[in-house]
Amino acid sequence: MEQKEFGGKMLDIDEDGFIQDPEDWNEAVAADLAKTEGVEELTENHWKVVHYLRDYYLQYNMAPMIRKLCKQTGFKLKEIYDLFPSGPAKGACKVAGLPKPTGCV
Amino acid sequence: MDLITVAREAGLAFKVNVRGHEFSSDMSVSDGGRDAAPAPAELVGGALGACIAMMVQAYCDTCGYTDGEVGVSLAVELGDNPKRVAGFVIDLELPADVPEEKHDVIMRVAEKCSIHETLANPPRVDIDIT
Repeated sequence: MEQKEFGGKMLDIDEDGFIQDPEDWNEAVAADLAKTEGVEELTENHWKVVHYLRDYYLQYNMAPMIRKLCKQTGFKLKEIYDLFPSGPAKGACKVAGLPKPTGCV
Repeated sequence: MDLITVAREAGLAFKVNVRGHEFSSDMSVSDGGRDAAPAPAELVGGALGACIAMMVQAYCDTCGYTDGEVGVSLAVELGDNPKRVAGFVIDLELPADVPEEKHDVIMRVAEKCSIHETLANPPRVDIDIT
């Protein structure tokens, strides 16, 4: 499995750059993961999304539905994509250290 | 409706022709394509978003709501086993002069668009090898 340095640690990643062990995640890892998604700096709004995703995942062992993410963070769908250009699944979930979402698009 | 044809361009990219209008579809690089055009599932999402926007815009035009345009932001949620589109998440933007008491009517208009109805009432799909 490929390894790459995030937050000063060598971590296992899959072919799409998702870290393999959610336990490896911390805010420094998130900041480096964000750069792979074209997000150079994580703002307060980015963190609001990331922390919501992470808290939900740790509680339910799955990512929330997109509508739930929007409702709970107060962001419109377009605003989520403005924050994470690859979207809530491939972008925000990756930065939050969640497993790669299902699907092929 | 007129015949829709699909012909290979290169790799996994295909060109779709509808009444002389052409557009392409491809897969992402991670799924074996070249990402030269939207993936088929994204085209389905685009069709749904366009259909809803057209219906709601027509309603707003008829009612004289002109302070802004109708717009749609749409995300496609994917599912596995089997691989499929598992859901659509849609934010609908309305002209600013649409009163809030009309939102229920507009939701019904959006849900009556032909693509929404098609997804809600899955069509027969008849494939033959020719």
